[in-house]
Amino acid sequence: MSGGEGMSDGLHPAVAGSQPYMLADRQGSASRDEPLFESEEGRERLEKILSRYPSKRPALLPLLNYAQERNGWVSGSAMEEIADALELTPAYVHSVATFYTMYNRRPIGRYLVQVCTNISCHLNRGEEVMERFLQETGTRPGETSEDGLFTVMEVECLGACGFATVVQVNDEYVEDVTPEKVPGIVKELRDRAGQGGA
Amino acid sequence: MSEQNGQKDTVTLTIDGVEVTVPEGTRVLDAAQRAGVVVPYYCYHPGIPTRPAQCRVCLVSVEGQGKLQPSCVLDAQDEMVVHTATEEAKLARKSVIEFLLVNHPLDCPICDAAGQCMLQDYAFETGQLESRLDEPKQVMGRDRISDDIMYFADRCIICTRCVRFMREVAEDDALIVAERGHRAYIDTFPGTKLDNPFQGNIVDICPVGALVHEDFLFKARYWDMDSASSVCPGCSNGCNVAIDTKENQIVRLKPRHNAEVNSYWMCDHGRKHLVMANRGIRAEVPLLRGEDGELRPADWAEALETVAERLGEVSGGRAVVSPHDCNESLFYLRRLLDRMGIDGGSFTVERGEEATLSGFPKLKLRADRAPNVSGAEIFGFERADGLSGPEAGAALVVLEERLQGAPAELDDEAFGEDASYFLYLGSRISPAARAADAILPVTSFAEMQGTFTNWEGRVQRFDQALREPGIARPAWMVLSRVLELMGEGEAVLEAADAFERMVGDTAPMEEATWASLGLKGAPLAPTAGSGAGGA
Amino acid sequence: MAYPHRHENETTTLLSRHMGEEKARHLDGWLERGGYEALRKAVDMEPDEITGVVKDSGLRGRGGAGFPTGMKWSFMPGADDDRPHYLCCNADESEPGAFKDREIMRWTPHLLIEGCLIAARAIRAGHVYIYVRGEFFPVIRILNDAVSEAYEAGYIGEDILGSGWSCDLTVHIGAGAYIAGEETGLMSSLEGRRAEPRVKPPFPAQHGIFGQPTTVNNVETLSAVPMILSNGADWYRQWGTEKSPGTKLWCCSGHLNRPGNYELALGAPLRDIIYDVCGGIPDGRDLRAVIPGGSSTAFLTPDELDCETTYEGLKEVGSSLGTASPIVMDESTCLLKAMRRIAHFYAHESCGQCVQCREGTEWVTKILERIEHGEGKMQDIDNLYDLCEQLTGRTICVLADSVVFPLKSSLDKFRDEYEAHILRDTCTAS
Repeated sequence: MSGGEGMSDGLHPAVAGSQPYMLADRQGSASRDEPLFESEEGRERLEKILSRYPSKRPALLPLLNYAQERNGWVSGSAMEEIADALELTPAYVHSVATFYTMYNRRPIGRYLVQVCTNISCHLNRGEEVMERFLQETGTRPGETSEDGLFTVMEVECLGACGFATVVQVNDEYVEDVTPEKVPGIVKELRDRAGQGGA
Repeated sequence: MSEQNGQKDTVTLTIDGVEVTVPEGTRVLDAAQRAGVVVPYYCYHPGIPTRPAQCRVCLVSVEGQGKLQPSCVLDAQDEMVVHTATEEAKLARKSVIEFLLVNHPLDCPICDAAGQCMLQDYAFETGQLESRLDEPKQVMGRDRISDDIMYFADRCIICTRCVRFMREVAEDDALIVAERGHRAYIDTFPGTKLDNPFQGNIVDICPVGALVHEDFLFKARYWDMDSASSVCPGCSNGCNVAIDTKENQIVRLKPRHNAEVNSYWMCDHGRKHLVMANRGIRAEVPLLRGEDGELRPADWAEALETVAERLGEVSGGRAVVSPHDCNESLFYLRRLLDRMGIDGGSFTVERGEEATLSGFPKLKLRADRAPNVSGAEIFGFERADGLSGPEAGAALVVLEERLQGAPAELDDEAFGEDASYFLYLGSRISPAARAADAILPVTSFAEMQGTFTNWEGRVQRFDQALREPGIARPAWMVLSRVLELMGEGEAVLEAADAFERMVGDTAPMEEATWASLGLKGAPLAPTAGSGAGGA
Repeated sequence: MAYPHRHENETTTLLSRHMGEEKARHLDGWLERGGYEALRKAVDMEPDEITGVVKDSGLRGRGGAGFPTGMKWSFMPGADDDRPHYLCCNADESEPGAFKDREIMRWTPHLLIEGCLIAARAIRAGHVYIYVRGEFFPVIRILNDAVSEAYEAGYIGEDILGSGWSCDLTVHIGAGAYIAGEETGLMSSLEGRRAEPRVKPPFPAQHGIFGQPTTVNNVETLSAVPMILSNGADWYRQWGTEKSPGTKLWCCSGHLNRPGNYELALGAPLRDIIYDVCGGIPDGRDLRAVIPGGSSTAFLTPDELDCETTYEGLKEVGSSLGTASPIVMDESTCLLKAMRRIAHFYAHESCGQCVQCREGTEWVTKILERIEHGEGKMQDIDNLYDLCEQLTGRTICVLADSVVFPLKSSLDKFRDEYEAHILRDTCTAS
């Protein structure tokens, strides 16, 4: 199983199912709904992931992650495609996908801003940070801003409590955030979006 | 390990002071049942393989163990001492009910489950009658999860019986738990509906009123219903059912447990099928054709005397029966036909697609959509693709207890025209009956007692669920009286007596007694061809 | 990314020695720092020998439960069992207040890999799954690279270091569920299911993932194994106490001048950790309360800070070491709000199987919210006490019990806070 051949995506099978999927600078907003396994790349990834488990069902979370990697969210058709690949029912995939909070069931903005307000961040003005983000981005909790750039939500402990308040923007951790720093963070993200591609 | 009986594969434990010996591997809940101790439960169901132990209602105290244990999954061990009703266990049970009632709407006045609800029952048993809740209840609404089943999310206790029935017994993983925590609910894949021939069972096993048949919604209160043990007439599987009626109308069918036939389940075709027993115009009084050629009502005495006299003059002819006729009726008809010199006879059967309950494959919606094909064959009637009318100048006898789906031939008014004497016994007056010389109104299976023989040769009793329409009577009663008037044996008034006469004369059935059949029937070995004796 | 703070006393930097050194992440840098020497030793030892050393060292599980690691390994079937065995590394760090496994993985991923492989050999496992919480993207990238390097260099895979022994390793990431950090919840999640904990028995060592014998260990626990194997059990016991040997990565957060990770020998008084190591509370404010071991542990008051920070020491004062993650609250903290926020977390994370947890955690949260908004009643306090009892010892896992530890201790020790809100709609915070 320690592969070397045919790794066209350069991924060792051991880590094929654990690729970070919240790419720091997505081109455009995260709202595609493309098929997952029709391309050669998709099929190769599927094979590598399947090779790590003695049966098909354990590949479910890695494949849901892959759907987010490709499309930014998990759509109904993605669930059906995954169900088909793993010989599960779409209803079962739906049951698992809705259990976990990281699977976006709707398309999201270009930047998913997740603000921790759990106890250590709560003690360090986490709720104020959240409020500030909502103001600066002009959106409501869990919703995407009009310009499609930001989806802001409150989350539970992100595991960086000593550096409160902790905010996750796509796949980056932004730590030691105070309400005063929020406008600067939002501006930087807006600038980045302006500079990046469409 | 028990040494008492020398076997090494049993364990002996004590439950609430009662000693009980069970096979190794038995769980404490099942051992308790054997000991006569009732432990309440929700998520466990005897017909569903998995035991998630998540409802927490079956927790019991076990000596030597600090925490309460879920008895549905706890393995019984030798010398284990279990107490199901310690203060701790009782408090834990009461607490489960309190938590369930936190967000459960007090819908009892409008909920179909009231009176047959395990949440109500345990609330009373545990004494959890007052609420400490001072918060607004969560509201989740309701959903149509299939064309005929509604899901009231607020009432759901997330016992997952429905999910596990579909996954493990119907082997159709279409019903799942979505979300988690207090936001969890039962769902199908968004945009789809449940569509499985056995899905109605999830309503039966729902401990509360979260899953409800739409065609039963608000129809009847549990305490307004009467119930009769019966056998489903939808196909030849012979599933044991309970017919629930209100004010002489069938409102619901539920399966009865029979480990040899249908386990705890039945199919949706059977459930829906029986509502037709409430409808339509029935034959209610005997009708005799007079000198003027018109049919006129008569009382039983006149009708039976007239028929007996006329049949005494007849020799030869044809017989048409129905695979919905019960064994006793067919038995007496065969005796009458023998007396009339009529051999054989035919029936047609409606056929349909089969559907098997994968987790209990003996339960199948069978291709023969009639309950007594085997019975008809035992009494010498043959399956035919079509029915031939009488030979000119010969007699015709028709016995049709069926309520709907009568063969097309009987819709033809001309069918029996050419008969020299046409005797029609039926539940409905089909168009062909209008040419009969005598119409005798007989009861359907729902309106009498009798037996059917299923696909496997199992003979099963059904009880009366509805009143006879008009002065209709069971065909076996009517025919036995006709035979008596013709000098052939005694009339019977009770199904048990009809049965005893029948088995006495019918080789494959001679071991059975009415009592031995009980409510679950007994298997008999059917042999092909007529076993009806003439003696 | 922030760097961990260094404590002046370097003698206890065992696990954290190379934190902050970028080169330590990569195989060449790690080898320069003595990496994989313990693995070399391990492949020449018998599995039970390795277990023996870890047992003797007294290492206890660092994921919160503190179960002796060597004993846990010895529950696995022995050499005559031919079923596949599995090791799951629990990197689902989601306990509020804990942030140590992240540090280990992002600075010294190869240390974790080495620990996993040694443990796998000890329990006769042929496959290791490292279950990392999905949010940890920066960490996952680093870990993925390290795993790929290790495979390429032959430290994972077939015929490891030419020993004839083979073992695979897969990185498997979660998707946002605290309950996936519970041992059986993790196993359910790994199997592609909802992360719902399971009834025990059967225990993982008999019936774990894919129905096979499995051991689940925390990142910090596994990361301690290489040095224990290299230096011996006695060496490890020079730190800590008889019952709680070794060092621990402390995760200090809340109102502190120097929050962060500090590796300390077990046993120092909690007071010293807060005031010496972490520099005390900003602006000279007084301490009001501290939760010593992550949010699933009982509150301590300022006069309880002299307790010994060992498993037994914290138990003595009615709390628990947990993940050694003190959350410090100064006098300005509204404890009611804090408790409400803690309860909200558990209500959000409940898997929903058991009704006590599913309904009870949300009910508790709603009561606390109502008190917070000035609509509380004195009866609520009695009800909360009673709910604490109803949430204890009745469920498949201990998530429900976990909310009781902070809740009951806050009722016991800070009743005045509750009463102030209920009776006067004010707070006793300054």
